[in-house]
Amino acid sequence: MRDERLTFFGYFRNIYTAVKSSLIGMWITFRYVWGKKPVTVEYPEVRDVLPDNTRSRLYNDALNCISCNMCAISCPVDCIYISSVPRPKDLDVPKCDDGTPKRQVLTQYVIDTALCCYCGLCTVVCPTECLTHTDDYEYSQYEVADMKYDYLSDDLIAWRDRLVKS
Amino acid sequence: MQTWDMDLEELKEEETNLPGTKLKTELLTVNMGPQHPATHGVLRVEIKTDSEIVAQAIPHIGYLHRCMEKHCEAIDYRGVIPFVDRLDYLAAMSQELTYSMAVEKMLGTEVPRRALVIRTIVSELQRIASHLMAFGTYALDLGAFSPFLYAFDEREKILTFFEEISGARLLYNYFWIGGVWNDITDRQLGYIDNFLNGFEKELVKYDKLVSSNRIFQERTMGVGTLSLADAHSFGATGPVLRGSGQAWDLRKVDPYLIYDELDFDIPIGEGQRGSELGDCYNRYIVRMLEMVESVKMIRQSMKLLEPGPVIGKVSKVIKVPKGETYTRTECPRGELGIHLVSMGDKTPYRLKVKSPCFTHTSILPHIAPGQMIADFVASIGSIDIVLGEVDR
Amino acid sequence: MYSELITSINSAVTNANATLVTPGEGEIGDSSVLINPESVLEVMKFLKPLYNALQVISGVDYTEYIEVCYFLAHFDPAAPKDVMIKTRLKDRVAPKLDSICSVYLAANWQERECYDMFGVSFNNHPDHRRILCPDDWEGWPLRKDYKVQEVYRGMKVNPENKMNRDDQLFEDNKQKGNEADLIAWALSKGL
Repeated sequence: MRDERLTFFGYFRNIYTAVKSSLIGMWITFRYVWGKKPVTVEYPEVRDVLPDNTRSRLYNDALNCISCNMCAISCPVDCIYISSVPRPKDLDVPKCDDGTPKRQVLTQYVIDTALCCYCGLCTVVCPTECLTHTDDYEYSQYEVADMKYDYLSDDLIAWRDRLVKS
Repeated sequence: MQTWDMDLEELKEEETNLPGTKLKTELLTVNMGPQHPATHGVLRVEIKTDSEIVAQAIPHIGYLHRCMEKHCEAIDYRGVIPFVDRLDYLAAMSQELTYSMAVEKMLGTEVPRRALVIRTIVSELQRIASHLMAFGTYALDLGAFSPFLYAFDEREKILTFFEEISGARLLYNYFWIGGVWNDITDRQLGYIDNFLNGFEKELVKYDKLVSSNRIFQERTMGVGTLSLADAHSFGATGPVLRGSGQAWDLRKVDPYLIYDELDFDIPIGEGQRGSELGDCYNRYIVRMLEMVESVKMIRQSMKLLEPGPVIGKVSKVIKVPKGETYTRTECPRGELGIHLVSMGDKTPYRLKVKSPCFTHTSILPHIAPGQMIADFVASIGSIDIVLGEVDR
Repeated sequence: MYSELITSINSAVTNANATLVTPGEGEIGDSSVLINPESVLEVMKFLKPLYNALQVISGVDYTEYIEVCYFLAHFDPAAPKDVMIKTRLKDRVAPKLDSICSVYLAANWQERECYDMFGVSFNNHPDHRRILCPDDWEGWPLRKDYKVQEVYRGMKVNPENKMNRDDQLFEDNKQKGNEADLIAWALSKGL
């Protein structure tokens, strides 16, 4: 592209510089044949250990939830559906693990994981720290509707031992 | 090389029958994109070609339009940060920085010293990561595959660090209004130090492998030249403006964070290695030199790190007083500006993002005419656009 | 801060009517220069030697008027400066401004975006089309009174089955069912 008149020596100089710089590049590439550790992992067999504060799948420990709605308010994409009714007066008020009284009866806690943007704002505001990001990242589904997780269903409550970091 | 200054009206007049034959010549319209590996996303460029020469290029944008500015008018100030992340997903930290600086300016929040230093370190690391991506994909556009892998190897180390401090690999939500989310530990600082030592050697390797390669130079030198006057008139910023030869950098002329305490140079294009001022090679080399400067800056700011809090006092529900502001910072791709108008509510009244990529995409029709199609690909790569930011 | 600039604008351009806008009582932020919408082109021609780059054209809909803000900057490390020039358009039906594409090349796309989002049309614009929305989209999205169109090219915009309505569905079902049963069900899970 450069406008310069091609001379006889220039012609050979061009060939020389092109071959030389290519050889330098090929030498750099060739050195990767040995002495370099692979940077990838063979995924299904080997798994990377994710950091402690990694923001993957959300898990709500429903037994500790006080239905304060803070997570649903702070969610920028409105993917948390929570509803509750006041606890009848004739029943005693149970307490969470950290001693906060549960004045409401949680009747629905659904997170649409397909909408979730994994920003972590809901976990920060949670007063009892029952809503947490876990390091579980393998939960693909065949249909989008299946990405809605109902945290009051028995099978999800049973996940607690596996997912919640102590 | 033949210059191609005629505009389309003249070309239409030329579409006449060749004398003595029934043959005629006319321009061929080629759609490049929206799914094209060289357009870095969903950019569609309608190219009118005369054989292999581009006569006119019309970019069509909007394929990634997500109504972000409209959405932000209904979300509280903290919730906007994940949205701002998704503008330029390759340099999310820099976008967060601009937005949180705009809100802090309106609120009058004082950001603790340690948070400022961490912000500097992180945004410079983000600049390196973003430039590595630009370098790798640019080499890939021009037919060299291995630099892409080497660049990704180094970028991966930065992303691992970001993942440790913020919890996410790409869309961090790490810079909060008033400071940063998590503190950096000494072990992580040691990791950065380790990375920088290795990275300096890598930069030398990139220089040998790509920058001084004769084929790469032939593909980029003298291609897509943008004069300084045009760069000003188009409002170009960042590496595109500096590649045209002006040492304009907001970190120097209007320092924010702790940039006024750091010692660094502004690399500009000056026709290195026999290139033409303002061409693709200059824009490319400015990015490479900026990475060297970023390494210097991170080293200096790591020494300035003192113990202390990382987040200032911000009320639980953020209500910004009535008023408006225009805040701009130097992002990897240029100057990002946030025009924030508040009516004293919990949500922004108007949030306008001035994205550098939008401005730079508008340069394409100007530099395209007269280029070969393959050189046009080189031009798109050299201005380094991210379509998430163009379309918002 | 901008007083010298304002006097020079007023003396150079008749009927520019430039005034300083500062944050009022209890307000905060940057001050700016307000000019007459008819004189935009002349003012920009006058400002071009002083400010060599147009950064962005931003529109704001204040319901009683539409404000168009021009951010100008001078890219010179020796004397950096910037200014926000504003103009207010009272007409909401067909707001009109003079295009400044002949002065700043950057204005081309920025004005197209302003037209796309606020419906401000620019006289003498070389390529006056929408930029982010499709060409045949209706309405101006960033206006405060914007309503999304129902049908676009035979396709329903925001169809019912794609809307995020789970909360409402749950509430509806709850109304149908017995609340005492719901509480008993929840209590049986230990909630």
